[in-house]
Amino acid sequence: MALDFQQVRQQVIEMGENAPLRAQYLREKRDKALEILHEYAAELEALSAKVNAAISANPNLRCAIPKDENLNHHRACPALPEKATLLAADGSQINPDRHASVDYCLVNVGAIQMQYGEADSPVTTVRSQLFYDEQMYIGGGRISERMVALMRDLRERTLLADLAKDVESPVITLTDGPLELWVGREGALEAREYEKRFKEYLGALRELHLLGVSTAGYIDRPRGDLLVRLLEIATLPTDELDKAGREHRPYRGIADADLFNFLLKPGERSTVFGIQSRNADKYTAELALHFFYLNVGRDDVHPYPVRVEIPAWVASDAQKLDDLHAILVQQCQVLGSRTYPYLLHRSHEVAVVTQDEKKQVENMIALELHRRGVEFGGESQKQGTKDDSGYTGRNRR
Amino acid sequence: MTAIEIGRLLRAGTTGFVVGCRVSQLDAPSFGGLVRAPLGDGQQVYGLIHDIHIDEDGIVRQLVTADQVDENIIADNRVNRNVPVEISVLTVGYAQNGQIKHLLPPRPPLSLDVIYQCSADDLMAFTGTGRFGYFRHLLRSKDAPIGEMIAAHIEQASQAHNAAGNEQWTQDAMSELITLLRDDYPTLMAVLGALGDAMMISDY
Repeated sequence: MALDFQQVRQQVIEMGENAPLRAQYLREKRDKALEILHEYAAELEALSAKVNAAISANPNLRCAIPKDENLNHHRACPALPEKATLLAADGSQINPDRHASVDYCLVNVGAIQMQYGEADSPVTTVRSQLFYDEQMYIGGGRISERMVALMRDLRERTLLADLAKDVESPVITLTDGPLELWVGREGALEAREYEKRFKEYLGALRELHLLGVSTAGYIDRPRGDLLVRLLEIATLPTDELDKAGREHRPYRGIADADLFNFLLKPGERSTVFGIQSRNADKYTAELALHFFYLNVGRDDVHPYPVRVEIPAWVASDAQKLDDLHAILVQQCQVLGSRTYPYLLHRSHEVAVVTQDEKKQVENMIALELHRRGVEFGGESQKQGTKDDSGYTGRNRR
Repeated sequence: MTAIEIGRLLRAGTTGFVVGCRVSQLDAPSFGGLVRAPLGDGQQVYGLIHDIHIDEDGIVRQLVTADQVDENIIADNRVNRNVPVEISVLTVGYAQNGQIKHLLPPRPPLSLDVIYQCSADDLMAFTGTGRFGYFRHLLRSKDAPIGEMIAAHIEQASQAHNAAGNEQWTQDAMSELITLLRDDYPTLMAVLGALGDAMMISDY
């Protein structure tokens, strides 16, 4: 039996009935949050002190950290650099699948390099790495999807560092998604492996810094609320700061982008904030994580704020920040009404592993094993049954 | 002289085949041009290009809506991206051990066979063989714009033959076409009309 549309339809109707009330509720919350933002915009020192006190009570607190400029500061799009080397990287993976016919996983990363200001065709690079046999185990257990994702992120960053070595300055490197890696709660063995890979990731970031390269993570349609959480702290009495990020969440449901819809004109960026999170302190000194919002919408009627994460060495360099700002706005204009950086889309095209390619890789491995007379299990009965019945399932990539 | 590769075979039948190539390879092939597909064993199939089709994809569709498209973005899409270009070819004959026949080949070329543009010498050799037997393949085609295709072909072949001092070829080709189409007035007029335009363009 497939989806019961009757049941879903009833729930959709209930959802629709509630939607106008919910929208009104969120509008009021958003307006109040905007008021607070303007009220506390210049109180940077007091806010910083409150954040520090809140962190003492709750080290896992997530929020924005005010820096040098007022909270509601916005900067118009600066002039484009005359020339720049742009590098964008993305990655995809074939996750380990115990139901597949052969046991393997794969990480594929791709990059595209373009000389801004010159007519030359961009250059693409692809690096594919197959993992098999002992590589499928970490410590006492099998490699997890989370670990494969980490290896993908690491390889994206190291590919950028490799490519950035031999290109003309200034260099701007872009990846899709946050710079801050997601850290799960792993078992001890996996945590050790994770730590090792994470250090390599930081090493690649440091290499980019030593090369004088700007780097940024681009988050499209961000639903993060780091600034909103900072505003919640702003309104908390000093003796209740231990409630920050826990029971005191009066603006839950409001995202930072909801505020920047009203604060930024097309092409403008917000002030730069620091990031406070459970793992942010692992990014120290020049690697310390920062972010700003950028309105890449094409006109006043359709604002489209995105979040851009940058390390401290970019945040503290006005020229690097301006170049990145201008280049991102330019890149978002390339695809007309689709305001997403062209090079990030192209790096995705270069890196993505399609379902057909996954099948071909599996066939290649199966043929090679067969040619050498090695027994392999074939796909599981469960997978075979699904294939027989034309089950589409979720997209396993 | 180095043979000019225009692409590789995507799919084929006895009466025609389709070649895939990159947009950046599109300089060489032209509508009405003669191409050849070596099959090995001393055989090669000849065909005439009757359609060049450039597909769109989502990104190209987005790019055309942009205010301006930079040169490097155009180059990226033409050189790096897999924008599909299909060249449809009408089979007009084959060669076996150097002997050209204006008949359909024993078998079509196979997937990924390389397709080459015919040189002026190839063109003269193929069109100068026999009594224009390959015209019947062109006139039988239901999908191709017959008048325009024949006009483009005759213009290209005439240039090659004229350059070699054989101006009689064009006269003979036209006479043969008039004979073949004497009972098909609409097609004859379409062919002659297109030929007239082609000759004017080339200042014949």
